[in-house]
Amino acid sequence: MKTANFILSGLGGQGVLFLTKVLAQAAVNKGFSVMGAETHGMAQRGGSVVSHLRVGDVGSSLVMAGSAHYVLALEENEAYRNIPFLAKAGGLYANARQNRFPRQEVGPYLKKMGIVCRSLPAGEMAMELDAPMSLNLALLGFFSSFGEGPVSHKDLSETIEQITPNRFKAINLKVFDAGFQRGVKEQSGE
Amino acid sequence: MREEIFLGNGAIALGLVEAGCQVLTSYPGTPSSEILPEVVRLVKSEGLNTYVEWSTNEKVALDNAFAAAIAGKRAACCMKQVGLNVAADSLMSAAYIGTTGALVIISCDDPGPHSSQTEQDTRFMARLAKVPVFDPSNPQEAREMVKLAMDISEEFMIPVILRPAIRVCHARQNLSWAPVKNNDRKAHFEKDPARWAATPRFRLVLHGELNKKLKKIGQRFEGLTNHNFHDLDVGKKYPFGIIAGGVPYAVVCDIFNEEKRVDIPVFKVGTPYPFPEGPAEEFVSQCEKVLVIEETDTLIEYLLRDKTKVMGRLSGHVPAQGELVPKVVYDLINDVLAGLHLDPFTGVKDKDAFDLVKDLGLPVRKPTLCPGCPHRASFYAIRKARPKAIFTSDIGCYTLGLNLGAVDTCLDMGAGITMASGFYHAFGQDEIEQPIVATIGDSTFFHSGTAGLLNAVYNGARFVLVILDNLTTAMTGMQPTPALGIRADGSRGKAISIERVVSGCGVDFVEVVDPYDTKEMTKLVKKAAEYTIAPDGGIAVIIARHPCVIAYREEAVPKKKKVTVTEDCVECNFCLERFECPALYKDDELGRTAVNQALCIGCGVCLDVCPKGAIVEV
Repeated sequence: MKTANFILSGLGGQGVLFLTKVLAQAAVNKGFSVMGAETHGMAQRGGSVVSHLRVGDVGSSLVMAGSAHYVLALEENEAYRNIPFLAKAGGLYANARQNRFPRQEVGPYLKKMGIVCRSLPAGEMAMELDAPMSLNLALLGFFSSFGEGPVSHKDLSETIEQITPNRFKAINLKVFDAGFQRGVKEQSGE
Repeated sequence: MREEIFLGNGAIALGLVEAGCQVLTSYPGTPSSEILPEVVRLVKSEGLNTYVEWSTNEKVALDNAFAAAIAGKRAACCMKQVGLNVAADSLMSAAYIGTTGALVIISCDDPGPHSSQTEQDTRFMARLAKVPVFDPSNPQEAREMVKLAMDISEEFMIPVILRPAIRVCHARQNLSWAPVKNNDRKAHFEKDPARWAATPRFRLVLHGELNKKLKKIGQRFEGLTNHNFHDLDVGKKYPFGIIAGGVPYAVVCDIFNEEKRVDIPVFKVGTPYPFPEGPAEEFVSQCEKVLVIEETDTLIEYLLRDKTKVMGRLSGHVPAQGELVPKVVYDLINDVLAGLHLDPFTGVKDKDAFDLVKDLGLPVRKPTLCPGCPHRASFYAIRKARPKAIFTSDIGCYTLGLNLGAVDTCLDMGAGITMASGFYHAFGQDEIEQPIVATIGDSTFFHSGTAGLLNAVYNGARFVLVILDNLTTAMTGMQPTPALGIRADGSRGKAISIERVVSGCGVDFVEVVDPYDTKEMTKLVKKAAEYTIAPDGGIAVIIARHPCVIAYREEAVPKKKKVTVTEDCVECNFCLERFECPALYKDDELGRTAVNQALCIGCGVCLDVCPKGAIVEV
């Protein structure tokens, strides 16, 4: 398999590490090797949290600038901040309102690079479902609806079931599914 | 066999228990902090009887592990790279004396630096102490090297260092592993004063023995083809080759795979000291030019005998500071390829994206104390009570008190106190009465506060010392402190009273306050300051005690207060600058300061902060 490089970003407390864990475990469940990099300590106090995740046979844990296939950002500014990681024809998935994402200034660059840009008001959706802490899974569900990357919607769904503590299982799956349905709807042109 | 995703520090922990480590000591510090908790997890799941302790500092940790290692046990000790400075006294001597069992020291480096005061290179400490060092490139290799290090340590009766960098410690990798068995080897101490308590005359003999050991280990390392190897065809000449170790080796391999480059040979150095001279000479002799890529300093570059062909940090081809992230390595190799008229890389070398992002004016997210952090309340009160003081501080979350203008210095562990006495005497010599308020955390106080406090009392220094007691070691991930009476494995230990330790150091003014009551604390700091200038006064110690809001959530804020900002706000920014809570922000639409309710944890401390009384409870 060709390596798949992910950058997962957001703010402290938004669940970047859990998001990384779900993707990594889903990949391992499918028999792939994974290598990732996390932020701890003083660097964690700043607010910006970035995880690198590489699926496939690689040596180092960091994704090189210009070579991420996917950036999943749980906050709009963190999406922009990580644009330099994206490879040509990569995908940028962000928790942001659709009508104002992405900002005009970045349009020409994304177009030049052939980067696909998709957004979902994941925070609002999770809030509506009374699970503001699960916005990470809303975005992951949305991402999974496009059939991109080494793991499928089903793989991810099973992994969430597998690694979520019991008391959050139902709500996590519900939010994940809501994100997924939104993506499906978007693609059917509704 | 089980398949599990491990943190790099978890892989090291797995390597430790697989190697039959019986004693593990540590003091937490990023990026090493998770090794011990991961060992505890494995000890519990595998039913092992490994002795595990959070020691009060790194020197204490190393001495304890060393004793176990000369009682024939397999012992290990882990810390961050600057922690090894604290343990250096122990290390240098232990190298001469040697072991009977095994002693592996794991010292984690932080190129960047991401969470440290220096980018120092542990490999140089190994060279200085004359002990072997392993430099892993990824978690799996770290796991293998721990076991190898234990074997080498025991066979040659010498302490051995493993130096994982932050990208090994905080990497995640899937590993397969089998159940681990207990190591039942019993303690046995053979008296031999000429060795265990050697006087200088015997030290000379021990130094000679150490040199002999190193020579033998060097030969062993040359044959260690799993960790020291190159891929050049013997006899063939190459215009250019790369020598790399640790994380940069993994980065170089990934780049060459991606670029499908097989024309450039690579020599991986997994054991930089003793240096594998033979394979290195073979490699260098077949290349016209050699580029050395290593973290964080220049050990390999120094140790290569033939310097005429070598490029690296000393020649300016590799950045002399900062982490060697993939993009940096890619660009620097590409520059060297261009300079040597060799084929460049084919990937895009596009810097547009960085410029684009720079111009977006994205919010700068600097490190900040958490909403509700009791340290913020303490710093606010300290600055209010002693606005003209010099604020000496220390290593921990509370270094971030610099955002509130209440931290002026941060040198090393314990220097909040020692620099306060230093300032006192420096100004005192000129007969200047300079107010000084020192701050230090609870764990840091136990780590290296007492020696400095004793010294300050004994030598007649006068200042206010505030011990910021949040009942945990917060920055490194909530490890218990000796004051809690909870040990590394969760079992009960004897709780040590900070008040009694302070009194025992000869301090006569010791008061405890809850910093959430900033008015009370401000009063107390003023009272303490008066004591420092009273004729029969001295050092005044205040223990500002309130639980960390992350470690103790509910207990830390038992009664949540919902706060808001009224129209009385005149946008003076006093609260934003002097209190600096992430939950307070300037709302441009409202035209005043507002509360971000998603971030606010309802501590209510800010209710006393606004000069206009515009911050109110709803």
